Amino acid sequence: MNLVALPILLTLSTALTTLVWRRPSTARRGFVLGSVVAQLGVATWLVFASWTKGPLVMLMGNWGVPWGIVFVIDLFSAIMLWLAAVTVLAGLLYGFYELPVRLEHPLRLPLLQFLAFGIHASFCTGDLFNLFVAFEVMLIASYALLTLEADNWDIKQAFPYVAINLVGSTLFLGAVGLVYGFLGTLNFADLSERADSLAGDPRLTMLGTLLLMVFGIKAGLFPLYYWLPHSYPTLPTPLAAIYSGMLTKVGIYAMVRLLGTVWPHERTLLHEGLAWVSGFTMLVAVIGAISRNYIRGILSFHILSQVAFMTLAVGFFTPWGVTAAIFYIMHHIIVKSSLFLIGGVGACLNRTDDLARMGGLWRVAPGLGVLFLCQALSLAGLPPLSGFWGKYLIVVEGLRLREYVLVGASVVASLLTLFSMIKIWMAAFWTEPSHSVVHAEDPRWRPMTRVVGAMTVLSLGIGLGAEGAVQLAARAAQGVFNREAYRQAVMSARGKEVFHFGPAQEETARRMRPEHASSGQLGAKGGARSPGDFQSEGHRIVGASGREPACRTLDKGT
Amino acid sequence: MQLDSALLTGVLFGTATWLILQGSFVRILFGFILLSHAVNLLVLTMSGEPSGKQAPLATESGPWVDPLPQAMILTAIVISFGVTAYLVGLLYRLFLDHGTTHAGSLYAGDSTEHEKTK
Repeated sequence: MNLVALPILLTLSTALTTLVWRRPSTARRGFVLGSVVAQLGVATWLVFASWTKGPLVMLMGNWGVPWGIVFVIDLFSAIMLWLAAVTVLAGLLYGFYELPVRLEHPLRLPLLQFLAFGIHASFCTGDLFNLFVAFEVMLIASYALLTLEADNWDIKQAFPYVAINLVGSTLFLGAVGLVYGFLGTLNFADLSERADSLAGDPRLTMLGTLLLMVFGIKAGLFPLYYWLPHSYPTLPTPLAAIYSGMLTKVGIYAMVRLLGTVWPHERTLLHEGLAWVSGFTMLVAVIGAISRNYIRGILSFHILSQVAFMTLAVGFFTPWGVTAAIFYIMHHIIVKSSLFLIGGVGACLNRTDDLARMGGLWRVAPGLGVLFLCQALSLAGLPPLSGFWGKYLIVVEGLRLREYVLVGASVVASLLTLFSMIKIWMAAFWTEPSHSVVHAEDPRWRPMTRVVGAMTVLSLGIGLGAEGAVQLAARAAQGVFNREAYRQAVMSARGKEVFHFGPAQEETARRMRPEHASSGQLGAKGGARSPGDFQSEGHRIVGASGREPACRTLDKGT
Repeated sequence: MQLDSALLTGVLFGTATWLILQGSFVRILFGFILLSHAVNLLVLTMSGEPSGKQAPLATESGPWVDPLPQAMILTAIVISFGVTAYLVGLLYRLFLDHGTTHAGSLYAGDSTEHEKTK
């Protein structure tokens, strides 16, 4: 059995089982926990396998490559899957400790697993249309989770989230359609080959801009970020941690995949624009964070400024830039979700996360304070914590490219991040105002802190073992950049040939052969394609006997 | 045919954008519905000029219409149907909670602070 399917199958089957198994119970919780641990195990295995073997490919229904649906996991996808599993595991455990079984909403766990399904599918898929479908699965689950336990204040904040993401998805579908019309395929490997032959075409840049805009909405980049800091604080803490860790990062993943694997590799206006938008987002978001006075609000704005660091690194678009982006993703997912969880523990002790009414946490929970300091200073980027290395890589790469303004923006953003973190520290931990009450007798906060502790150990590991983590990221970035290897892996996957059904289809196959293909029935996608394309299409169409190899020559000149 | 589709897509996109920029959430809902129609039409157009082509059946002799965009639209219609249903539900909940679905009165007097205590 092909293990590439497992991350998707596990999440989907867990979601469906819990949907049928309606009553929340300890056994049901144990089942979901077991499934998530299994997901983590599979993801770990996938990281090892894709490290040693390169991209792993699965053909859905065993259909031959450019025709059938293909799932591809390279090292970058495997790392993202692993991070997703870790985040979901932490959120799940925290949620179990936070909420007794009798108060659990019966739909929370199934929806969470559907969300994980959408996230996993986005990382696994090897074609643009399935990326759209996976995004939709993820978004619909996220809409439902956002409004599942919402009160009437929360529900007002949910509408903008839903509305802007709907527009984003619709534009995504439009972009998918245009890509199909223009390039005649949606498979990443196939697209990259065709896009190469059109490198420098302004229409390609336009399509790229449209797609980047769509992914920018998901990631929360500058003009289109306003939904995020309003909707995330309304979520229950464990869900907010998962959302803040994973959802925006799916957008970044899609950007890296698009620019690294699919689009031609020259640095164009597209990358330049992305870098500048990121620089702007960083500053605007970090200033937004200063305006907030409750922990979840501050942290939500910081998601945006941190996301902008990653997209800035992607915008630099050198192998080191993408390495920095991947390293930053690894660091950020762990740190950001654990900060949300720490905020949740604080809110559990103080019964509020309004900084004006918090206080006195240091005396009761010094351990929590230490964890907060580790993660907050890592977010701000102090050595030797993980955030420092991410920022260091980005700044060095920026200086090498002589992007002094952008580097300056990132340094200012880091300083202001430190300011916000100190604000939380001073208000929640250090001060002891008379009006704040610490409910230390609440039994929940200790196990909840232990979950955060495990996450902190992980992020300290990334920081102190930065050498290994950077090597992992560099290898992943290499995999993203090495499009020949990606194509080779995908195209050489053997499957059923499309027109190999049986004798009755012989005639069909004859008609689909190159001479017919070039007469235009397959190439009905308008005149936008380059003349050489039909020829390459002819290559791919194999005779009814299926004797011709499924993989094509990869060295097609441009 | 291609020109007609392009014009219609343009008109639908324009109207949808105008509706989405309104303050009333019900109009935004209708704007979204129109937008998804516009995009579906756009994707349909990508299968090329249909005149003189056959349905893609093995028993028919070519040239055929490219069927893939239609398959994509089918998926997209299911998704947008589900999401629209969700949006209607959300809008009804908003109306029950607040008695209005107009952004102007819904967010009037909101400070940026989250007043809730958890």
